[in-house]
Amino acid sequence: MAQGIDPIHQFQLHDLAGPWNIAGHEISFTNSALFMGIAVGLITVILLAAAARGALVPGRLQSVGEMWYEFVHNMVQNVLGHEGKAFFPLVFTIFSFVLFANMLGMFPYFFTVTSHVVVTASLAVFVVALVVVVGIAKHGLGWFKLFVPSGVPLVILPFISLIEVISFLSRPVSLGLRLFGNMLAGHIVLKVFAGFVVLLGSMGLGGIIGSIAPLGMAVALTALEFLVAFLQAFVFAILTCVYLNDALHTHH
Amino acid sequence: MTKSGKNGPKQGSSDPELGDLSARLKELSGRIAVERSERAESAKPPASMQDASGYARGYKLVSEFAAGTLVGGLIGYGIDWLFGTLPFGLIFFLLLGFGAGFLNLVRAAKRMPPAQERLNTNPPPKAAFDDEEED
Repeated sequence: MAQGIDPIHQFQLHDLAGPWNIAGHEISFTNSALFMGIAVGLITVILLAAAARGALVPGRLQSVGEMWYEFVHNMVQNVLGHEGKAFFPLVFTIFSFVLFANMLGMFPYFFTVTSHVVVTASLAVFVVALVVVVGIAKHGLGWFKLFVPSGVPLVILPFISLIEVISFLSRPVSLGLRLFGNMLAGHIVLKVFAGFVVLLGSMGLGGIIGSIAPLGMAVALTALEFLVAFLQAFVFAILTCVYLNDALHTHH
Repeated sequence: MTKSGKNGPKQGSSDPELGDLSARLKELSGRIAVERSERAESAKPPASMQDASGYARGYKLVSEFAAGTLVGGLIGYGIDWLFGTLPFGLIFFLLLGFGAGFLNLVRAAKRMPPAQERLNTNPPPKAAFDDEEED
């Protein structure tokens, strides 16, 4: 019983295929890796199936594929403009992966990949590292002027620059923490309310009547979680665009 | 459509049909133009969707602020750990971190809500962000 309503238990990692020793590191195939694989596999299968027919009048699946594609395409187009086309595959991949990882996590007994800070932080650090690389590749060392705002008195310029640097460094943190925090908190709250229902339900008739309120709450939270799952994928993708925009268009 | 258009002039005799066809073509291209502009309109609501959900927006702003402070504190603590000057680096960089967090907060807040008004000018976040950078 107590284990059944342990709200943290769902985030535990298990080794599905034993730890192998690869180059001095213990590496194993965990449930997290399994669900990452499922997410990637699902995305691939759905998109391949959607694109297989290529009918002029799209069927249901093809419509979904086209909407999905156009949604991300418009987002990239709106934020990054024409130059940003090169980043469309990246943004589409990130959006799809996060979306599917979040949505798969909504199934009971499924593991939520994005509820682990390692995964989200890796994605975020990758995005911000890419911003640095693209910025330097495009503007040379002049890109670092991003941290030196023009028209600031010389006396406070070092402080402003430091603040700008910290602000830039905080991007991967906020990007990764937001996704991780949303998924973690949402799933814990969902589990806690569902746990109330079980606990109250085992306390006789009065308990069963009393458990209606948390049950309604759990249902409402499930709907909210679906919204959050989509929104966070969207926010992650659009912030990727906004940050990349920084690297592409630095006017100083 | 183009096929029947090609057939039209060959037959020659079917003038009324040709007129009908070109009228239909014109009508179709008009419909396509309308559809396109409508689609451009409807493609934008997703951008303001995050504005619709106050929960997501609030969470976003909080995380921006928290991240700035956190990174500032971590840098300060790291410098202290390197040089053994325990309280001072932490204090200094935590304060700078607050500043950075606030900067993030203001930027994020500025970037988001007026997006709806700025939808007409084409790349809204860019404009908002660049203005911010100049300050």
